[in-house]
Amino acid sequence: MTAYIIRRALYTIPLVLGVCLITFVLFECVYSPKDRAIRQLGKHATEEQIQDTIRREGWDKPAAVNWKAPGFAKLTDTRFREHLVRLLLLRFGRSEKTHEEIWGKILRGAVPSLKLTIPIFAMGLFVGICLSLMVAYFRATYLDLGAVVVCVAFMSVSILVYIIGGQYLLAQNMMLFPVYGYAPGVHSAPFLLLPVLIAVLKGMGGDVRFYRTVFLEEVNRDYVRTARAKGLGERVILFKHVLKNSMVPVLTRTVLAIPFLFMGSLLLERFFGIPGLGNMTIEAVESGDFKVLSAMVYLGALLFALGNLATDISYTFVDPRIRLR
Amino acid sequence: MTHVLTAALFLAAAVTGAPNDPYPPDEGKKIVYAALHEDPHGLDPVQIGDTTSHGIAAQVYDALYEYHYLKRPYELQPALAAAMPEVSEDGLTYTIPVRKGVLFQDDPCFAETGGKGREVTAEDFVYAIKRLADEGNKPRGWWLLDGKVVGLDEFHEESVKAAAEGAEMDYSREVEGLRAPDRYTLRIRLTEPYPQLKYALAMTYTAPVPREAVGYYRDDFHNHPVGTGPFRIKEWSRRWRLILERNPTYRDDFYPSEGEPGDAEAGLLEPAGRKVPFIDEVYYTVIYEAQPSWLYFKQGYLDASGVSKDNFQEAITPEKDLTAEFMAKGISLTKVPEAAVFYVGFNMEDPVVGGDNKKLRQAMSLAYDTEWRIEHLMNGRGISAQGPIPPGIFGYDPEFRNPYKGYDPEKARELLAEAGYPGGIGPDGKRLTIAYDIGQPGPEALQPALAFAADMEKIGIKVDVKTNTWAEFLRKMREGRHQVFNTGWILDYPDPENFLQLLYGPNKAPGPNGTLYDNPEYNALFEQMKAMPDTPERLDIIRKMVDILVEDAPWVPSIHTVSYVLRHQWSRYAKPHGIGGGYLKYRDVDVELRRRLRGEWNSPNYGLLFGILAAVAGAGLALAFVGKPAPGGMGQT
Repeated sequence: MTAYIIRRALYTIPLVLGVCLITFVLFECVYSPKDRAIRQLGKHATEEQIQDTIRREGWDKPAAVNWKAPGFAKLTDTRFREHLVRLLLLRFGRSEKTHEEIWGKILRGAVPSLKLTIPIFAMGLFVGICLSLMVAYFRATYLDLGAVVVCVAFMSVSILVYIIGGQYLLAQNMMLFPVYGYAPGVHSAPFLLLPVLIAVLKGMGGDVRFYRTVFLEEVNRDYVRTARAKGLGERVILFKHVLKNSMVPVLTRTVLAIPFLFMGSLLLERFFGIPGLGNMTIEAVESGDFKVLSAMVYLGALLFALGNLATDISYTFVDPRIRLR
Repeated sequence: MTHVLTAALFLAAAVTGAPNDPYPPDEGKKIVYAALHEDPHGLDPVQIGDTTSHGIAAQVYDALYEYHYLKRPYELQPALAAAMPEVSEDGLTYTIPVRKGVLFQDDPCFAETGGKGREVTAEDFVYAIKRLADEGNKPRGWWLLDGKVVGLDEFHEESVKAAAEGAEMDYSREVEGLRAPDRYTLRIRLTEPYPQLKYALAMTYTAPVPREAVGYYRDDFHNHPVGTGPFRIKEWSRRWRLILERNPTYRDDFYPSEGEPGDAEAGLLEPAGRKVPFIDEVYYTVIYEAQPSWLYFKQGYLDASGVSKDNFQEAITPEKDLTAEFMAKGISLTKVPEAAVFYVGFNMEDPVVGGDNKKLRQAMSLAYDTEWRIEHLMNGRGISAQGPIPPGIFGYDPEFRNPYKGYDPEKARELLAEAGYPGGIGPDGKRLTIAYDIGQPGPEALQPALAFAADMEKIGIKVDVKTNTWAEFLRKMREGRHQVFNTGWILDYPDPENFLQLLYGPNKAPGPNGTLYDNPEYNALFEQMKAMPDTPERLDIIRKMVDILVEDAPWVPSIHTVSYVLRHQWSRYAKPHGIGGGYLKYRDVDVELRRRLRGEWNSPNYGLLFGILAAVAGAGLALAFVGKPAPGGMGQT
């Protein structure tokens, strides 16, 4: 397995380099240095100040090949190399707009994000599996049909509708939750309940449909028939045998999601005012804070690679037939 | 899950009163609750360029002068200065006495005194102004003093060199025109008369900052302001909240005892002579979207609010009054004309619309339907602009009517024919087509541009709307690649010069004169006017200048915006102020009234919740116990 992990880690090298290249092109090349300087300086900027900012920020350096530099420095004294070093060594530096350390920003933002995403993930998983087992239990009845209708509704209507509807109904009309905002520590509970509720409901549609299909496929297998013939109750069959044997597809869907819990949720954080990483990313997009953006995109790519690896490894725990070599 | 939910709700209710109360307990403090629509970009005084940052910085930093809170037109009064500046005969030397005993806010940066703030001296102002001239600080306000102070330009030049080399500027380098002859006197020598200097000294750009803080926080000074103002930052958690608290070492500062007519009736003079600030904290929540901030306001969790387009009809009747619902809640509406002008500009060097083709410009001006825009695009929140000077500024004349303004398509067609484009067809037999640049993407900017196209279509001119990012827009101006464009100007200081300079020849782009208008007669009058005090003679010159502009029509002056502010009845002594960043030190709040009304407006409706939950559970159970196989081939086993 160690060999497998090392090999997989090596596979991520082209991925990481690719991400570095794409973020470089997107964030460093699309806008000209002049545009970026004007954005920074505002309405009274003089030509002199613009040139100055460009020089100070090092935006006048060539992007990929520096013909003027001697020898090997042709390839190293460039903006791309600086970008590469920043990302690969995880030295993100300070934000262009807020002057904060980007790592500090990310760590501070991760707490509220995790407070939001972990309950969504855990509750979503629990509710999703329970409900889909229940639906599988009641398969081919009106309850099953009703569940299909509800699930499809949840899947096909945008989460924005649930956000605005939930804010309107539960927060404004019933006055059960604060409409918006955040608080430290345990006081954040009233602020997080509504977004968690909305995300769990919204995620439930797809989850229940997916897990139900998985469970139903398993329900038709021989061992289930044998268990039934031996007189086992339907409940024991579902929760003990079917659930265990359908873990591979379930894990594929869930383990991959775990690393992304750190990235937060763009829409929920924005609409409910939770100062997490999703919100931070949107803010960086709006203010053109390219350093923060490239750091987030890069971390996202790393987490994706990590999630893939974790999924593969988790298979060996639930299915002894799978070996990683 | 239902149990967990209700338990949590009751818990929340028990802790905070109403379960939807978003704030921590006030612990008996007097707090003003407000919203920020974005985080301040940064709070280094020399870098502030956006209104949000200015609104916060103005509470933390004091400058030498400030604007009188109540009097209009705006009037300066000493803040950190002990008196108004003493100006020499030739208008070149300003001697400013500095108030004694003013302390910087306590901060860990004052290592020698164990965190106690030290006294502000004249040297601190010299330092602050040098910082404004130091290119290494990326100052946004350098244009204010560029070319004005003896020796400061050399300092600036040197700092440009230093910045390019990545070196730090040496602040011990003397600047001839900027001296502190003693501990409490500041002397500024100018290169030319510049009466607007007093306004510059009222801006946060020139507010004193302690050298200690700049050295201590370095790159992070941006996020750790240390000033002398009525408030200091207690907490700033980006994307969440910013809390200002009363500065315990704030200087003796008192509520004004005179105002303009009507202020006494409005109760604005009640606290006359009392020491400010009245409130202990200002609690800002960062709310990006309009909808949640509107709900917050309606629930009483914000003390004041603007009115966004989506909520306009809910709050304002077609007659522009408050709706009955809002009236019943005791909310008040204030309409504030803003010192801003929005306009359509012509590139005066363009062969088609520029130069001597003024009849064409006048025709387009007459075809421009301002009233329609104000009504349909702005919900009536605007005043049709007749010239460049907005209301509230010396030289604005509400009676003045621009003969080429006011919708008259008939006359516009006549003038267009006289200009050589009968029916919009030019001498070459082709339809006149005009490129119209806007500097902002998105529907809010596009809508008025399309309205412009529609207006011009009516007299036979075809308009090609071009959307640019702000940076592209500025670059087009700089390079003269524009023809007709739409932009605006919000005042920097309340002097007509700030608006008339937009058409002064030597200010051509890259300066603020985007039209490239250059009329020697206008330029001469401008030079004469800019150094004058607000006398009837100055007014005469300003009138002459406006008349020249009206005739030459380098602009179609469009709109002066009017903002609508809603306030709950517990807000006290709030008078809209167009310049000073809010002056929160003069505000007060009736905490008892607020608590009572919030309680009345926010009693949770558990009945409806349980009703809905019961209905959902009931439906599920019913379906489960029907137990009949559903029709169709579902989940065959």
